[in-house]
Amino acid sequence: MAAFAIHAPLLLMKLPLKSYDTNFHIFFASHYVHHWFNPWNAKWYAGFSQATYPPLPQQWVAVVSRLTGLDMAYMAVQFAGILLLALGVYRFAALWVNERAASFAALASVFLGSESFLVYSAGQLSTTCAAPLYLNALPYLFEWVRYGRGRSFFKGAALFTAAAAAHHATLLFGSMFFAIPVLALTLLDRHEGKPLTTLAFVLRTAVMTVVVGMAIAVVLLPFWIALFHYPVTQTPIPHPSRANYILSPQWGLNYFLVPYGALVLALPFIFLRGSAVVRLRPLLFGFWLAFMVGLGGTTPVAHLVLGRAFEVLTMERFSYWATLLALPFVGLLASELVSQYRTRAVVGLSILAALSCGLAVAWSSYRPADAEDFKVDSVAAWLNRDGHDNYRYVTLGFGNKIARLAVFTDASSVDGEWNSGRMLPELMKYGAGALTSSKYFGAAGLDALRAILRHANRYGLKWVLVRDPYYDPLLSFAGWRRVDQLEDNTIVIWSKDGVPPATAVNAPQMPPHWQGILWGTLPFGSSLVALLLVLIPDKRHRTAEVVEAATGSNQEFVPGRRVS
Amino acid sequence: MKKGRLLALILAIATVALIAIGTIWPGPSAVALAGGVSLMQTSSTPEAAVRNLANEIGRRAWEEAYLSLENKGEFSEQEFERDLTGSYPSLRTYAALDGFQVLPQHATADQAQVELRLRWSTVVGDFEDRRNLQVLRSGGRWQPVWPLVKEPRVPPQVITVNYLRWDVIYRGPGDDWGAQDVETPHVRIVDMHPIQRAAGVVVLGELLNEDVVPAYVTVRATLQAKDGSPIASEGSFDKISHLLLPKQVTPFLIEFPGTSLSRVASIRMDPVSQLISASADPVIEIQNQKLNPAPDASFTGQLVDQSGEVVNIAHVLATFYDKSGQLVWVADRYMDRALLPQTPVAFTVPIPEDLARKISSERAIVATYSQDDRW
Repeated sequence: MAAFAIHAPLLLMKLPLKSYDTNFHIFFASHYVHHWFNPWNAKWYAGFSQATYPPLPQQWVAVVSRLTGLDMAYMAVQFAGILLLALGVYRFAALWVNERAASFAALASVFLGSESFLVYSAGQLSTTCAAPLYLNALPYLFEWVRYGRGRSFFKGAALFTAAAAAHHATLLFGSMFFAIPVLALTLLDRHEGKPLTTLAFVLRTAVMTVVVGMAIAVVLLPFWIALFHYPVTQTPIPHPSRANYILSPQWGLNYFLVPYGALVLALPFIFLRGSAVVRLRPLLFGFWLAFMVGLGGTTPVAHLVLGRAFEVLTMERFSYWATLLALPFVGLLASELVSQYRTRAVVGLSILAALSCGLAVAWSSYRPADAEDFKVDSVAAWLNRDGHDNYRYVTLGFGNKIARLAVFTDASSVDGEWNSGRMLPELMKYGAGALTSSKYFGAAGLDALRAILRHANRYGLKWVLVRDPYYDPLLSFAGWRRVDQLEDNTIVIWSKDGVPPATAVNAPQMPPHWQGILWGTLPFGSSLVALLLVLIPDKRHRTAEVVEAATGSNQEFVPGRRVS
Repeated sequence: MKKGRLLALILAIATVALIAIGTIWPGPSAVALAGGVSLMQTSSTPEAAVRNLANEIGRRAWEEAYLSLENKGEFSEQEFERDLTGSYPSLRTYAALDGFQVLPQHATADQAQVELRLRWSTVVGDFEDRRNLQVLRSGGRWQPVWPLVKEPRVPPQVITVNYLRWDVIYRGPGDDWGAQDVETPHVRIVDMHPIQRAAGVVVLGELLNEDVVPAYVTVRATLQAKDGSPIASEGSFDKISHLLLPKQVTPFLIEFPGTSLSRVASIRMDPVSQLISASADPVIEIQNQKLNPAPDASFTGQLVDQSGEVVNIAHVLATFYDKSGQLVWVADRYMDRALLPQTPVAFTVPIPEDLARKISSERAIVATYSQDDRW
């Protein structure tokens, strides 16, 4: 109910459309609407494969869009992710703390600053859908390894696979931050009730790892093939989440204070209680590692743990995972405060929760991804008429509106927002992001822009749509001419003479038909299988002792967990 | 319990220690994102003082940079900022500091000479701004003396202009924007030859507008192998003056990085021209042209804007010939400061050392960009 009351109105207002990546996901979904079994998308980078990005959330958006249109389908899938998160947090927290505290943790997830930050500011649909699936899978992992329950094995494996189909990085790093603490918990609990032998622990863990690994290998086969043939070798692109948040306080605010919100106040409790209670220590270590990595360049930890991946990944997702790992502690703290201070605690906690959520939601308006909101409909209409879409285009000064434009236009661009999917050498060489924002990447961005404009004929690049006169001198000296203007002369269209019509490029990267069939079948199918398996009721098991957590003593944390 | 408290203490200390390490010795990406700022910055040496100044300039922290100067009493903060960003919109105005070098020249106990090379990145390419700074010791710290370059101000005046202009009447608004019912201007490549450079093949040449109307031109070259198959195809991009008035000649240079001349059997040249409206204004005169021999071979001179409008960006394209009049090299240079009416601005076009000895004459033209060009 809380999730519905808080997030449904915000999603109905389509607030995520202002975020960095929402239009990117909608663009991917729009491709699946028209080409479900063909991941080759010709609209960006003169052609790229969508098999370079796990497809599950976008495919669900594509399916739901048949009923609601793309924008509302996105909101619906995002809302499902938020609901699943509350459920997942409850089930995950119940592994560590009692039901009451787990309920508080689930409630806190609705107000979690990092969740709102990712939904409304970052627009990370895949991360916010994969994490709940993963959290829901973890209790099954526990039940399988601890008790050897076959149903839990299948349910867990299906949910892990679906989580990977939604976002592969969540599974990879989730194993480190989430699964290892859960496995450690099974070891800590091994002497309670039915004993767990070391051999059984090792075998069951290995079986789950192998089966899930194989399932993921098959379900995302085109992804692995693309990664194997075309590994991400391009020059790293700077990202402010890798900043030192003390030396760059503006990024500290953005990537630490806003996502954590009032959770910062709970940090001493997390450290003290997590250290004091043996059973909570694996969770504390998982949290601490994710917390440190999430601090980006503030500490050397992220670089040491991730290696080269530090220069490729963005760090806000680690803070997100850290806050999810903190929620069982938060639930515990809330439970104790409410028990002790009753109404005063409820009021205080409610205010802190509302402020955390409110700050993260307001942040998307206070520091929007698009400093200037503008419509791209007229640009799309121009590209779609009079054969203009026989040539490719690039925008300058459009920010992340390029994904919105790509949804509406039939024309192909040499630019795009999915850096890991691009194969044009001019874009891979320099360490800059989207061409439309070249100037913000300094010399690297401008070098990439000049390189692609130099090869305009090669790519059939005839149109440059400019919304920032900063780029005018380059176009003028490089032989482009103004040919039209739109939106009251705020968007100027430049053209180059003698450019041949666009032809298909990057043909070697085009996935064969059989991969398209797999891509259209297995990831989406994995989510249906997970859904069906989870709906099968569990057998009734003896309910183990419930963890009561009034204070920090070990004796009060009776091992065991609520068994569904 | 005691173990628990100890663990909490260890984790807390480790967290603080790791944050301290990451802040005192930040990684390269963290330093870059902080605009070069780190906590270890001090002005305890002349080089460190100049480095701090360069970092502040890079972050456009004009006030901090200005306050760190020893001679700030000699000029205002605004004048300091204008020195670096230009008084009129120019390449400097929108340039971003891409990097810098601090080169100590000599030092005594109380003063030092340091050369600061600021590498600015602009939309048309990089340019370097070299400043020789005196750095003086004041108390326990060093402070740079900024060598201010004051841009001249143009006094109020009336400038009469009398220039040619060509207008083109296109077909009606119902027609396609690209359809023209007049013939394209006649242009001709009057000279062309390829040379091998370290980076690859370079095709040099000159293009003449033979017509009596202005032309918007560009040139493409395709290197062909012995069997006629294309090796590579490139365009002149910005190494050409795209606007050619009647009977005007522009040099062009087309680069083929990573190719070898030994593989090239023939070159197909494709000049493209379009009829456009144009005017001879602004007229840019080149004064005091001079070829400077190696070492540091260069072509220098002064540009004078003879019209009444400010030219925001000027692009000098120089063609170099040997004694027999054969084309040897084409070089260019963008001016980082705006050209003000009737005000000379010096330029330097570097010449490759290995070609400098062959050069005996030169010819230069100037392409311009003014903000008013926008529709």
